[in-house]
Amino acid sequence: MMFAHGFGCDQNMWRFVAPAFEKDFRTVLFDHVGAGGSDLGAYEKTKYSSLAGYADEVVEMGRELDLRDAVFVGHSVSGMIGVLAAGKAPGMFGKLVLVGPSARYIDDEGYKGGFSAKQIEELLQFLESNHMGWSAQMAPMIMGNPDRPELGQELTNSFCRTDPEIAKAFARVTFTSDNRGDLARVAVPTLVLQCSEDIIAAQEVGDFVNHTIPNSRMIVLKATGHCPNLSAPEEVISAMRTFV
Amino acid sequence: MNDAHLDFGDMIENAPCAYVSLSPGGRIELANHTFLSWTGYAADQTAGKRLSEFLTMAGRIYYETHIAPLLRMQGSFEEFAIDVIKADGQPLQMIANASERRDADGKPLSIRLALIRATDRRRYEQELLGAREIAKASEKAAEERLQREHEASELREQFIAVLGHDLRNPLASISAGTRILDRTAQTEKEHQVIAMMQTTVIRMAGLIDNVLDLARGRLGGGIGLDRDAGKPLEPVLMGVVDELRLASPGRVIEAEFKINHAVNCDRSRIGQMLSNLLGNALTHGASNKPVVVHAVTRDESFELWVSNAGEPIPAAAMDKLFEPFFRANAHTSRQGLGLGLYIASQIAKAHGGELTVSSTREATRFTFSMPLLPADA
Repeated sequence: MMFAHGFGCDQNMWRFVAPAFEKDFRTVLFDHVGAGGSDLGAYEKTKYSSLAGYADEVVEMGRELDLRDAVFVGHSVSGMIGVLAAGKAPGMFGKLVLVGPSARYIDDEGYKGGFSAKQIEELLQFLESNHMGWSAQMAPMIMGNPDRPELGQELTNSFCRTDPEIAKAFARVTFTSDNRGDLARVAVPTLVLQCSEDIIAAQEVGDFVNHTIPNSRMIVLKATGHCPNLSAPEEVISAMRTFV
Repeated sequence: MNDAHLDFGDMIENAPCAYVSLSPGGRIELANHTFLSWTGYAADQTAGKRLSEFLTMAGRIYYETHIAPLLRMQGSFEEFAIDVIKADGQPLQMIANASERRDADGKPLSIRLALIRATDRRRYEQELLGAREIAKASEKAAEERLQREHEASELREQFIAVLGHDLRNPLASISAGTRILDRTAQTEKEHQVIAMMQTTVIRMAGLIDNVLDLARGRLGGGIGLDRDAGKPLEPVLMGVVDELRLASPGRVIEAEFKINHAVNCDRSRIGQMLSNLLGNALTHGASNKPVVVHAVTRDESFELWVSNAGEPIPAAAMDKLFEPFFRANAHTSRQGLGLGLYIASQIAKAHGGELTVSSTREATRFTFSMPLLPADA
């Protein structure tokens, strides 16, 4: 069972959920290249300028780990990364769990994604105001000494640290993506976990994903917000258990 | 009521920061007076509403994707920017600290945020970011300009190399032609003209050699050496002196050689250097005074110097003497390309030695010295 985090954080997003499946599954947690503890040297602007690049990364890992018929659990934008990865490597993933997925964030004719293009531009600008404890001075200590985490400990923020340039690029990739055309091609059973009152991926956005993927069902969680894996892990775990 | 300022509740209500307490689900449960007065909302407009509703869309996304998960993971998050929409619809830029209050089992009870206004600070940050972007762009532009310059200069030097090379063959034909003519020349006048043509050919060949060496050195090839300690250096140096004596009738060149040790050098390169130094001395030295050439081996070094009388080199010109294309004031038509001293210094360097200059009212002297290394070094 492979857990993929979304925009904004790293594999710590799954810290309350993944352990519950360790008994029945081999669990795989990772940070997307550019996020968390990943090797920033491996970040290539071109490769990671589309979700397909992130899906390639997932497939590369799946091949390395020899995953067959695995469960892919993707939060937020990683839901679509999983949809793409499953299409790229048939047989690697036998089931998809999409937590708070959205096939397109920006409104389009006949489609409501929840955001306007202008609002997404504002987000990209706003991200520059939030460096997440990352400064040019600290960056070499964090990046250059992954084996010595104590060097980074004086930072107030120890999770979800991201190079602001990469964070901005990932935000752009995430919020300008459009994967509506990929949903119908999903060939494996899919579970959509939909939160109540999620402003990132609203009910109708989740409905669209659920209706368009051929073999999909949806569970609407009582949990509010966009991160039920942190705010309501038990509910997420029991919903997943009905499926896997 | 005079003690109201000592009341703890008053301290919270009228704190110099906005202070808000949320339910774990993100709904506003308590907001202090400062928050309400800064934002312009009444207490009943905020109570029970989700904080997200009072944020800009960018702020909402950021709150949901960063702040809410971080508070669950690490319990607190500090110094983040957040934009609140005021009752009048205007955004209020703020900086906040947030922490999660938990019960004994670690379950969240509430989320507390302390916010301060940061309009000026955020504007200042934006200006800094803008300045950084401008600096980056101008650095990139400068690099591109430099790259273009570099490419253009490389092309020029390649052109020089090709031109120099192609000039050698016609010059060789002229040289051969003058030798043929010399055999059948009848009058003294004819012999003189032919001799003059031959010295001109030698001079041109020297110029072409210098140009080719420049191009090679600049194009990364450097000056190649073919060292040979086993053959005598003195005849080569004497040959250069004779050649220039022939080419400069009426000038006196005094030569003194004391070469007692083998000199592990490229003899034709040292000859080329002497030719350049002598040519320079004849051009710039006083024409009624002799030019002196001196070559000597000492215990561990070989020294070759050329000196001439005349006006000293101006101090301002001293630094640039060994740069390519440097020419002193063009007071005579016999000026070359300004490559002679540059090539001579390159030859000196290639031998692990150096070329130095001293210039006084009495004499101007260029001195080459190189270490005497065993042949196999």
